[in-house]
Parts: sequence; C-alpha cells; structure tokens
Amino acid sequence: MVKKGFILLILAAMAVIIVGAFAGFTGNTDLGYVANHYASNGASEVGSANLVTAVVVTYRGLDTLGEVTILFLSAAIVGFFLKVENTDNKDRKLKYVSEILNTASQVLVPIIILFGVYVFINGHLSPGGGFQGGAILASGFVLMFIAQPKKEISHKMVTILESISGVSFVLLGVAGIIFASGFLDNTILSLGKFGTLFSAGAIPIIYIFVGLKVGSELTSIALSLKENQNEA
Amino acid sequence: MVGPIYIIAIALGTAFFLGFFKKANRTFSFGLMLLAMAFMTFISAQWLYAFLTQNQETVQIFTAGFKPPFSISLQMGFHESIFLTIINVLGLFSAIYLFGHLRDKGVNMMMVFVVLFMGLNVVVMTRDLFNLFVFLEISTIAIIGLILLEKKEDAISSGFKYLIASGIISGLLLIGIIAVYYYSESLFINDIIASKLMYVKGGTIATFLILIALVLELKPFPANGWALDVYESAHPGVGAIVSSASATAGIFILFKLLPAFSDSAYYIIAVIGTLTFVGSNLLGIKQNKATRLLGYSSIGQIGLVMAVIGLTPYLGDKTMFIAFGLLLTHILAKAGLFWLAGIVKSKNIRDWAVIRRNPHLLVLMGTFVFALIGFPPFPSFFAKWELIMQLANSSGMVWLAFILLGSFIEGIYMFRWFGYAVKGENKDLPEFKIHWNKILPAILFAIGLYAFGYYSSTLTGIAGKFNYLPLLFIVFLYAIDFLPVYIKNTISIAGVGYYLYTIYPGLEEYRLVFGLIFLAGGMLTLLAGYAYKGKRQGFYPLTIMMFAGLLGLIEAKTTLEFFFAWELMTAGSYFLIIRGKKSMPHALSYILFSVGGAYLILAGFALAHIDQNTFSLDILSNVQYYAPVIFTLLAVGFMTKTASIGLHIWLPGAHAEAESDVSPMVSAILLKAGVFGLIILMLHMGFQSFGNVDIYYILAWIGAITAVMGNMMAAFQEDAKRLLAYSSIGFLGYTVFGLALMSHLGWLAAISLSVIHFMFKTLLFLAIGGVVWRVKTKEMYKMGGLIKKMPFTFISVLMGIIVISGVPPLTGFGGKWILYNAVLDKGWFFPAAAVFFAGIIAFLYCFRLIHTIFLGQLKDEHREVKEAPFWMLVPQYIILGVIMLFSALPNSLLKPIGEILLPYFPDGALEWQGQLAISAFGYWNGKLIMFIVVGIFVTVFAWLWYMNRNAQKVKQFNIGYSAERPSLPETTHFAYNFFAPYKKVLGFLVTPVISNFWDDVSEGIHAVADKIRRIYDGNAQNYALHIIMFVVVFYLIAFGGFYGI
Amino acid sequence: MIEKLNLENISLAVGIIVILIGLWGLLTQKNLIKIVIGFALFDTGIHIVMVSIGYIKGRTAPILDSAVDVNNASQIVVDPIPQALVLTAIVIGLGITALMLSYVLKMYQKRKSLEINNYKDLKW
Repeated sequence: MVKKGFILLILAAMAVIIVGAFAGFTGNTDLGYVANHYASNGASEVGSANLVTAVVVTYRGLDTLGEVTILFLSAAIVGFFLKVENTDNKDRKLKYVSEILNTASQVLVPIIILFGVYVFINGHLSPGGGFQGGAILASGFVLMFIAQPKKEISHKMVTILESISGVSFVLLGVAGIIFASGFLDNTILSLGKFGTLFSAGAIPIIYIFVGLKVGSELTSIALSLKENQNEA
Repeated sequence: MVGPIYIIAIALGTAFFLGFFKKANRTFSFGLMLLAMAFMTFISAQWLYAFLTQNQETVQIFTAGFKPPFSISLQMGFHESIFLTIINVLGLFSAIYLFGHLRDKGVNMMMVFVVLFMGLNVVVMTRDLFNLFVFLEISTIAIIGLILLEKKEDAISSGFKYLIASGIISGLLLIGIIAVYYYSESLFINDIIASKLMYVKGGTIATFLILIALVLELKPFPANGWALDVYESAHPGVGAIVSSASATAGIFILFKLLPAFSDSAYYIIAVIGTLTFVGSNLLGIKQNKATRLLGYSSIGQIGLVMAVIGLTPYLGDKTMFIAFGLLLTHILAKAGLFWLAGIVKSKNIRDWAVIRRNPHLLVLMGTFVFALIGFPPFPSFFAKWELIMQLANSSGMVWLAFILLGSFIEGIYMFRWFGYAVKGENKDLPEFKIHWNKILPAILFAIGLYAFGYYSSTLTGIAGKFNYLPLLFIVFLYAIDFLPVYIKNTISIAGVGYYLYTIYPGLEEYRLVFGLIFLAGGMLTLLAGYAYKGKRQGFYPLTIMMFAGLLGLIEAKTTLEFFFAWELMTAGSYFLIIRGKKSMPHALSYILFSVGGAYLILAGFALAHIDQNTFSLDILSNVQYYAPVIFTLLAVGFMTKTASIGLHIWLPGAHAEAESDVSPMVSAILLKAGVFGLIILMLHMGFQSFGNVDIYYILAWIGAITAVMGNMMAAFQEDAKRLLAYSSIGFLGYTVFGLALMSHLGWLAAISLSVIHFMFKTLLFLAIGGVVWRVKTKEMYKMGGLIKKMPFTFISVLMGIIVISGVPPLTGFGGKWILYNAVLDKGWFFPAAAVFFAGIIAFLYCFRLIHTIFLGQLKDEHREVKEAPFWMLVPQYIILGVIMLFSALPNSLLKPIGEILLPYFPDGALEWQGQLAISAFGYWNGKLIMFIVVGIFVTVFAWLWYMNRNAQKVKQFNIGYSAERPSLPETTHFAYNFFAPYKKVLGFLVTPVISNFWDDVSEGIHAVADKIRRIYDGNAQNYALHIIMFVVVFYLIAFGGFYGI
Repeated sequence: MIEKLNLENISLAVGIIVILIGLWGLLTQKNLIKIVIGFALFDTGIHIVMVSIGYIKGRTAPILDSAVDVNNASQIVVDPIPQALVLTAIVIGLGITALMLSYVLKMYQKRKSLEINNYKDLKW
C-alpha cells in the first residue's frame, strides 16, 4: 500500500512534467511552415490527393521504410521465437467453432481481403494506405484462422510474399536515386492526372508493396502465435 | 564514392532478400549477410578515409528529392564517418564471431542482425528527429531479438524487462519529440536547434524529456537493472554489441542533439555520467559473474564518456580527443572481453583460471583489462591524462576527484578478475574449444588497441616523442617466447646492456645514479635467470616491461612521459609479482596501491599544470597554485612505491611470494622508483608547508616510523623472504628520512643508502632465494646448519647482514654515519632517535638470518642439500666485490654523489682527504676501519676455530616429554619464535593496525556496494519505476521545482 | 477558463490522462498480460496527444478531394504531419506489443505463471 502511494506520488510528478512539456500549447490557428509547404505544394510536387500519404510515402518515406522494417523485425523475431519444431499438430485440441462463424467467415474473408486491397491501392486518394490496407488484409486471415483452425496456410508462402514486397520497396527506393533525385523519390513514374487512380508517381506501387508486406507480416505474426498456442 | 544511402539499401535489401532462403543452405545465407556487413563497413570506411586524407566536405543526403526540412535528410560528416566505421567494423566482426550461432539459429536471426546495424547507421546519420526515433526503435527491437540467440529462460525474462524499459523510454522520447514539433514546427534537427526551444515556454521541458530519454538509452545508474540482466543472460557476442555498438550510437545522438538543449544540459549530463561511472563501478566490485561484471563495467565506461561530453565546458576543444580515446578503448576492449567470455564459457570469475590453458588468450585478456583501466600505451591512457589535465586547468576539481575515484574502483574488480585468471586453480575446470572465428576478432581488436594507442600518442602534441624502442623489444621477446631460457636471458641482458650503453653518455647527476641502479641492477639480477630451466613462458617480456618503465622514468623530460613510464613499470612489476606461487592477493593489493598512487600522481601533475603551457617536468618548480597540495599528492603517490608506513601492506606478501630472482628485482630495484620520484619532486618544489606545519618534518617522522616498524616486523618473521621484505620497508624509511632532512648530508645519506640497499638486498634476496630453492621452504625454523652445505651462500648472507646492520667495516656503516651527521646538523632529534632505535632492531633480524638458517645443526631432511645454483651465486659475488670496493674506498661512492648534490645543496658537504671523510661533527676513514675490523675479526675467528676442537656434537630433536613426542618437534626448536620475549614487550607495536584498517576500508566498500545493488531486485516493474523516478529526480535537479510551467 | 475547454485541449488532456493510467497499470499490476495492456494504454495515450497537436479548429482532413480546393489547401486542412507520425508510431507500438505478448506467451509456457514476481532470477 505504501508502495502504491509512492507510485502515485511519482506519477503525479510525472504528470507535472508531461503537462509542463505542453505548457506552451495554445492550440493552432494556422499551419506550421513545413506543414504549410506540404498543403500548398504537396499536390504539385508529389501528386497525391491524400496529403498524409504524400508525407508518409514520399516526404517522410524513410520513416515508412523504417516502420515496415519494424514490423518485419517483429515478424522475424516472433517467427523465430515461437517456432514450433514439430509442425504436425494433428492431436491438437481445437475449440468448437460455431456454424455461424464458420459460414459467415466464408462469405466475409474474401470481401475483407478485397476491401484491404482497395484501401491500399487507393491510399493516395482517400483515407487509408498500405498500413491500413495491410492490417485489414491480415484481419481477414485472422478471421479465417479462427473460423477454420484446421486449415493450414503455408507459412513459407507468406514469408516469400513478404520478402518480395520488401525487396521491391527497397529497389523502388534505389530507383529513386538513379532515375529521379533521391532515395524513395516517387517521380520515377509520371505524376499522372491529379486525383485519379494512376497518379502520384510511384506511390500506389509503393503502397501495394507496403500493403502486401504489412499484410503478410501481420499474418505471419498471427500464424506464429496460432501454431504456438498448444505448445507446452 | 558510394553514397551512404546505399548502407540502408544494401542492409534492408539483404534482410528482405534473405527471406527467400529460409530453407536454403544457411552458410550461404550467412555469407550473404556477411557480404552486406562488409559492404556497409566499406562504405563508411571509405568516407572516413576521404575525410582524413582528401579534405572531404560534409555531405547532406536528401531523400525523396526534397530538401530538409520538407524531407528526411542524412548527414555524412567527419564525426559521422568515424562513428559509422566504428559501428560497422564492430558489426562485421560480431557477425564473424557469431557465425556458428547465426548459422544454427537460422535466417531470421541473420535478418535481425543486419537490420540492427542498419538501424544504428541511420541513427548516426539522420538529421530528422522523428526518423531518429524510428530507427532507434528498430535497433532496440533488433537487440531484443538478438537476446534470443540464447533461448534460455533467463534470456527470455531479461528480454521482457528490456522491452518494458525501452518501451517506457521511447514513449518519453516520443512525448518530447511531439512537443518539440509543436514548438518548432519542424522535425529537422537544424531547425530545432535554431528555434532555441530552451527559451520557449514548455520547450524547456520538452527538450528535457528528449535529453533524459536519450540518457536513459545509455543505461545510467541506477535506472539500469534491465540492462544488467541483459548483459548477464544474453550471448556474450550480443553483449559485445549492446555494450559497444549500441552505446556508441547512443553517445553520438547525445552529441548530435547537444546544441538543442539548454546549457544546464551539460551539467545534467555530467552529473549523470559521473554518477553512473562511480556508482556502476562501485556495484561491480561485489560481482562474481563475468558477463554481469562486464555489464557493470560497460555501463560505467559509457557513463564516463557521457561525463566527458557533459564536461565540454571544462574541456573545450579537447573534448573530442578525450571522448574518442575513452570510447574507442571501451569499444575495443569491452567487445574483446565479451568475446573472450564467449570462448571461455566460465560464468564465475573464479573459474576464469581456465583461460590459462592457452597463454595467448591470457595475453589478450591482459591487454583488454589494462586498456580499460587506462594503462599505457592504450588510447584511454592519453585520453584520461588529457581529461584530468583539462579538468584541473579549468578548476573542475570535484569532477576530477570523482572520475579518479571511479577509475580506481573499476580497477579493483577488473584486477581481481584478472588475478583469478592468472593464478586461480584450474585443474578441475572444463575444457574449452577455440574456433578461429571467435578468436580472430579479439586478436584484431587487441592489435587495434595498440595501434590506436600509438596513434593517440602522436596526437598529444608533446614535443618529446615517446620512446617506443623498449616496447618493441618487449614485443620481440614475446614473439620468441618459445625459445629456451638461456637464449632469451642472453638476449634480454644484451638488450638492457646495449640500451644502458647508448643512454649512458646522456645521463647526468642523480639520473645517472638511478640509471645505473635500474639498468646495471637489471642486468645483474637477470644473470640469476640462467639458473632456470625450460622456457619460463612470459617472464622475459614482463621483466623487460618493468625495466622499460624504469628507464623511461630516467629518460622522462615531460610529466606525461614520466607518468607513461610510471604506469608501464607498474604493469610490468605487477605481472612479475603475480607470477609467484601464492601471490594472487598480494599482487592485487600491489596493483591497487599502485593504481591509487598513480592517480594521486596524476592529480598532482594536473594541478601543477594549471596556467603553465609547457609539459616539461620543470613545471613542478614553477607551480602557480595549491603548491602544498600538489606536493602532498605527489609525495603520497611516490610513497606507495617506497612502501612507507600506511602504504606498505602490499609489500611483504608481494616480495616474499615472488620467484627467487624476481624478489631482488621488485625489492632492490623497483622500490627505488619511488625514491627517484621523491627526489625529482623535492628538487623541483623545495620546501613546502601547510600553514605552520612543515611537510618535510612530517615526512621525516613518516620515514622514522617506517624504519622502526619495518625493522620490528622483520624481527618477528619466521619466513625468511618476508623478513627481507619488511627489512626493505625499514630501510626505505631511512631513505625517506634522509631526503626529508633536505640537506647535503641527508641527501648524501639517502642516495648512498639507496645504492647500498640495492646491493645488499639483491645479495640477500638472491642468497636466501638460493636457499629456498634448495630446501623448499621459507620458514627459517625448518632450516639450520646450512653453513656446511651452502658455504658460498653463507658468506653472501654474512656480508649482506653486516651491510644492513650498518656496523663497520662494510659500506652500510658509511651510510649510517652520514645519516647521523646529517641529523645532528638538522637538529630533528626526536625522529632521529626513532631512526637510531630502528638501527638497533635491525640487529635482531640480521642475527636471525645468519643464526637460524646457517648455524646450529642441520635438519635431517637437509642432509642432501646442495649449494645454491651457480648462476644465482654469480651476481652475488659480483655485488660482493663492489661492496668490498665501496667499503674499502668509500670516496669512490660517496664523493661522486656528493658532487652531484653540490649544485642543489652547496652547504655542509663532506670534506675528503684521501679516504678520510670529515664532517662538521667528526671524521671517518673507511679504509683504516676496514683494516682494523678485519684484524679483529681474523684474531677472534682464529681463536674460535682453535677452541671449537673441544665442542661435542649431539643429535637434535631427540626430545620427549614424559614419553610423549611433540607432533611438530621443530616448533620446540629454540629458533622457533626466537624473539618471543621481545614480542611480549613490543608486540603491541606490530599488531597489524594498518592491515586491519585497509581490510576494514575494503569490507566497508563491499558492504556499501552490496547494500546498494539490492535495488536491482530482478522485477521488471521495479526497473520501470526506477526509470520514472530517475526522470522525476533529474527533473527536480534541473528545474528546482516547478520552473517552466 | 472556459475558453480553454476547446477540443484540442480536451483531447490533449485525455491523452495525458491515458498515458498516466497506462503507466499506473504498468507499475502496479502483477499480471504480465495486464502489464502489457498498461503499456498499450501508455502508447495509445501518446498517440492521442500526437493527434491533438496537429488539430486546427474548424478545418478538415488533409485530403485534397472535391471538398478542398487545391490552391487554397493550406487554409483549409489540418496539419498532416502529426497524422503521418502517429501512423508510424502506431505501427511501432504494434510491433512492440506483439513482441511483448510473444515473450509473455513463452514465459508462461516455460513456467506456467503470469505473476511478474516469479521472474526475478536475475538480479544484483
């Protein structure tokens, strides 16, 4: 109890510090000059209607590469960590799956996957993008794992998909150095007509790979956890 | 040139590409990864090369084709290229080291490995704050992944602790970053620096959060329990990466963002760094698990580098040199030690004795340990020197004291560990295998330490070039270590002789005297080495190391050279001492006293340097401030080597347990280094006093008490070599006393006594060493009657004790005579009385040496004993010849010394008429006395010999009490506990008060360390709490409450 | 006082409170899963704070569709940068949380306990 009181005291001090860090926060009335540049020139420089996408994929593309790398790392570590030596799980005790879930999943999974693809392909036009689309994709597979626990997905295929999209992402980045003015420059392809599907240079392609990569990474993590759940 | 962006492309491309090869040949996958690491190393090294040689300008790399602040940019400058090269080289060799592991664990871990180093590279290069956060996270997560290379329960739970801790830290960092973004409207670091957030409301605390998070990434004491657990449980190859590569990147971030923080950030970093350095090392001394110990040391060392960065306001433009020197040493040495830990596989430091099975590994370990503590010729030595000099110069005395304290504490556990490795019992320990891929990186890193040490020495900016010739000779001797003793011995003697021959013309005054003691003495004692058979592995490089240090002292023109030589000598003598059979604890106390003393000397030099632009030793005669303090620091430092009372406890064990020919080296020769130091000190600084208290009067008392106590303890010893060791303490007491008189006669006495002490102590240690060699015991009561078996040795000892006891006709008398004259001259009668009393006690132990060992009856088990080995006798008889010469013709020794002293002490010199010396109080004719005494001796001897015909011989140990025989008949021997009556009366004087005092100090420190380290209770939650508390405490320190809201 | 109760201040305050609640859970709960949940809350709180920072009263999402005039965008949209950052931060948080959970899973498998006090083998 004394300890909890002490923790409370420390957290109160912590609250003071965090509040202190935002002591100068008065809300915004206007964009900062970097943000202003994005809002004013994003359309002409990058050609993406979704400014967040412009920032994520191009202006701060290196962050995104890092982000993808973090998921990649997590998937690799979890995959290594939870690796099941003995993969034939025939004597696994499976929970009963209700008929509703099973039936619904058969309908829903393809739609979810399709929706995921839609979200990352349209990332430069509408809210969404590679991460969101990838997450939706993966959620479709998770639903499948729950509804049809016996159904096996080749983990190897997932990894290979992940690798292909990862290597492609990096190659696109390098292509930016060679064919345009810097790593991850999206103008290696023509910016196209603003606001259409085939616009914003390489952004849709990058987002496809990001979407596939995130989708396969999250699926891979879920797969690892699934394979591991009956381990002693 | 290949652009730095390709580091990212290559690393990530390889990592993603490896996914195709999950089931393929793993050696192939490993090869791919290694290729990527090599390429990254190549890119960074090529930039470094361009910066060093081609005036390359700093380059900005813009991503996405936009300029910052609109896109993320990287920077490749000189500093970046150095740090990247360090990190990548470490990565490359870590990969090689971990070859077997990575191959067995599969492709996933290879991906993690290469991504880790990519992350660290970007962290160094990026100029975007949020990007920094992202890639910092990448490297943290990758480390957590690599911890799993050991899939043990320990590693898993420590990985979880690391996750929690780093989660909180990066959360704090993120809060800081987002607040900073609000205030500066940009994430470009240059913009953030330009917007001077420390003057913005809220910005102060936002930058504080970033600062404290970055500091926490460096695992500061005491919020670092999680890191220690990782160091302990992770694979040592991973420990090396965490300790070296991650920390290097962390230090660079701090360095990079420093301009964005307020000036008080320097202070905070310095406080945290120093606290970490002292605190972590303090807790390390209770540690007995090797990898965890390395963890404590790593954290401490990084704390020191942090402190250096924080002390920038004190250090000015030397900061980079110091920080690099320390960091580079830490990286190379710590990685090397971690790698050795992975080879040896002994958890407990006591079990490291097993490393001795391969002596080359021991050499590597020694290199790393001595580099960490800051011995020459390693970069850390020069960095620490510069650090202390600059701190003193800008009045950072408190920092200086704490940094030296922390260094000393680190020495305690590092040398203890090394001692176990050198001397611990290793019979029952398991074998270990050495794979080439594990040993190669360590060897290269050790070579790197020497190379960078040499490079650092060229950067010190001191005109006098360091003398590396003796060091090359050491390397040469190490290379020919496989040859038999007699070849190496001849080469060593020839080397020392040749060196003496070349420098002899340049030696003047007292340098000549001590040069002869050190080098001619060295040759003499080396002669005894011919008595050894076999290879005597390691002996010659180490001996020459000590002599190289000694001659360096003679040659030193600058304080830095002097200190360099002093440390070299200390290292060499430590190795010689630890070679003895039971010498582990004594060698430890020797090195600790030496290191402690060396730090005092360093501090003294640093204070003396204040406001002086030259590095010459002459600065001591021109000291601007704190003169008495400087004098005291240096004097105490030098007295650790002369083993004056209070600082003597290392000596008896160290000298007594050493090998037969090492004892004279470390006793007769090494101790004179302290005398030499004192002479330089006193000549330069002259009279000093604290207010009304004359320091020299105190020194005289110290000398006198040392003489009394040393001799008294010598008298009560049963162990012959211990007796001689204590006698050295006593005799050095005379010397200190003589020097403290600060008069012509006092110094004449002190210097001539030094020469004499060198001669008779070499003589006696060799003679007694020869006896011990034959009878296999050092206990005197187990000997007796050896006069018939070892007549030549007997004569040596006889002559030796006549010299010690200072009776006519031999040369010891001359020394004493001058000393008493000097006392009369000065009028310090109370300490003089003590010195006189000490002279009487000397008779007691002298008598024991001759009587107990050589007279009386021969023990049964010694019937077959032979005379000492021929080569042990040779140096003894050479010395005997010299003693006879000096005794018969005293002016051959005393007159030249007197002339040396004339310029310094013109008054009160002796007047010489032939062999007749005349002082203000009387006269002495050595030659005449020689004739008289020899006459008396011959007469008495002839009479005794004549009477001896009637003596009747009896058998000994024919003892029985009421039909019972004592189980240890020797203890009933009259020679056992010979001076029991005296001991009853005076014994209270020799209770080991001082040893007890130091034992208590040591126990106290250990107890404190043990108390404090209980905070690391292993609970991840408490570690998290420590982090939050750390933030709160330093917030309060930085803002003194609620400033800024 | 009242005028301070606008949307960005409220969401900032909520974010900070969530951060503190998360920390409280992290520091006081004994169950490993609950500790991870505490961390996730802590992380989420930070994300809320990040989003609040970029908000501008009365403006719309930074997507240049029919509702936003491209030429006048800088007067109409909110700051896109914190939104981009929060996206990255969420993904990072996800990666860390996934790692934490798999560690907990493995720890549980080895020792059949979720009590944090049972994992104190390494210390001092």
